[in-house]
Amino acid sequence: MEDDEESVEDEFEDFEDEEVSREVVVPGEILTEDVKNFLPGRGTILNKEKTKIISLNIGLKQIKKNYINVIPLRGFYTPHPGDKVIALIVDKNPVKYKCDINAKDFGQLKPKNTVKRGKTRGFRGGSAVQDEISTEKFDIGDILVVKVLSADRLNKPELTTVGKYLGKKTGGIVISVDPPKIPRVIGRNGSMIKMLKNLTKCNIFVTQNGRIWLKGEDIAHERLLIESIYKIASEAHTVGLTDRMQEFIINEKKKRGIE
Amino acid sequence: MPLIIKDEYPETLFREDGKRLDGRDNNELRPIKMEVGIIKNADGSAYLEWGNNKIFAAVYGPREVHPHHLAKPDKGILRVFYRMATFSVFDRKRPAPGRREKEISMIVADCLEPVLFLELYPGTSFEVFIEVMDADGGTRCASITVAALALADAGIPMKSLVSAIAVGKIDGKKVIDLSGIEDKAGEADLPIAITWYNEEISLLQFDGDMDLNEMNEFLDLAKEFLKSIHNIQLDTLKSKYIKLQEKTSKNKKDEDKKGDK
Repeated sequence: MEDDEESVEDEFEDFEDEEVSREVVVPGEILTEDVKNFLPGRGTILNKEKTKIISLNIGLKQIKKNYINVIPLRGFYTPHPGDKVIALIVDKNPVKYKCDINAKDFGQLKPKNTVKRGKTRGFRGGSAVQDEISTEKFDIGDILVVKVLSADRLNKPELTTVGKYLGKKTGGIVISVDPPKIPRVIGRNGSMIKMLKNLTKCNIFVTQNGRIWLKGEDIAHERLLIESIYKIASEAHTVGLTDRMQEFIINEKKKRGIE
Repeated sequence: MPLIIKDEYPETLFREDGKRLDGRDNNELRPIKMEVGIIKNADGSAYLEWGNNKIFAAVYGPREVHPHHLAKPDKGILRVFYRMATFSVFDRKRPAPGRREKEISMIVADCLEPVLFLELYPGTSFEVFIEVMDADGGTRCASITVAALALADAGIPMKSLVSAIAVGKIDGKKVIDLSGIEDKAGEADLPIAITWYNEEISLLQFDGDMDLNEMNEFLDLAKEFLKSIHNIQLDTLKSKYIKLQEKTSKNKKDEDKKGDK
């Protein structure tokens, strides 16, 4: 459980960059008219005459090499294969579970994806003991950590619970923030999350769909952590956030008399 | 026998000093106030006060389409629900959606569709709920303005914002931003909406009588004022984030100063 979040960190490296300017742009705003030296990157578009680069989102302007990107401040989660997300089972039938993964479609969890395939070689002469394939394993209302197997625009995303750190979560609290703000909760190379973990002594699991699972020693620490995460989400676009949050948590701890 | 009371309009729509009944010049907008992110459970939301108009807009999506047969396999759909509160006008407004509500819902959806990338979200819907709390002329223009703002606040990719304004003719004079009484008693009324990406006209409705030359003049006049409305929209969207940035950087500067001492 200790190093849960590290698997998620790696995938966010491209979000965090030294050269993110703090200039807020809005849809339709002209980012540059110099189309010879710059190319439209993420969250941008060329106009019809190909003379201007225009922002599509409300976000922060970023220049990376010769690409102009807009890092969104608001938005929704789109599942991609390989994402680890926190899912809530909302419905089940003998064929599949229906999971809410905070995307436009419900995720589908088939029972064959909930049990480990037994090794074909068992005892000599005997067959390997396998878990029974049925939808009896989980109940409606369970919180699962799942991986997205396949996802595209047209079909419903397919999920699996077989893998490292995946499966049912018992205990703890799940909170959700805006999905585009998740990279800030993790911080550059996981700096923010390490700090939160050390100071509040809580286990945290951050996932790409904006849901965060946490479990601490007592409710006072958990409450402080939840408040800090919401504070990070609301101040995601400001400079020096990690240092400020560290100060905030230490001050709050003194104020509340915990530890 | 139902009692029929005819609407009574004043003989002239101008005061003795040459100003309009609400004290404005011919080329003067009503005071505009906008806010974003006010409805917590919506994906995006906005509030607009335009003179006496008070309008809320909430955006949800992308999400599944209900009823399911409306979903399109090749693109998403934009659904707009324009509703007026029963207390929004002088006589009680019946809460059921009538001909007028359906028309305005449709034109607002058609007006906003060109700026969205609906083809990226097949089988889904974006839903915009517009609730008019207080109405005093020009609610369709105000609805378009506030709906565009709510869509941007929801983080839905857009080519640009959309702004709208009504121009018209009252007592033979060109005026901008007609109020309720000017709308009813005036001679002509021309609501215009513009998408700022390529500056194309997205809505053009016309009621009354004017000739073609006048129409061109009205379009030129409207464009000038649409720009000022667009600036207010941009400021509203940005100010929410810039205020926080300034606040934090200010605190940091103060601390640095303390450290220097």
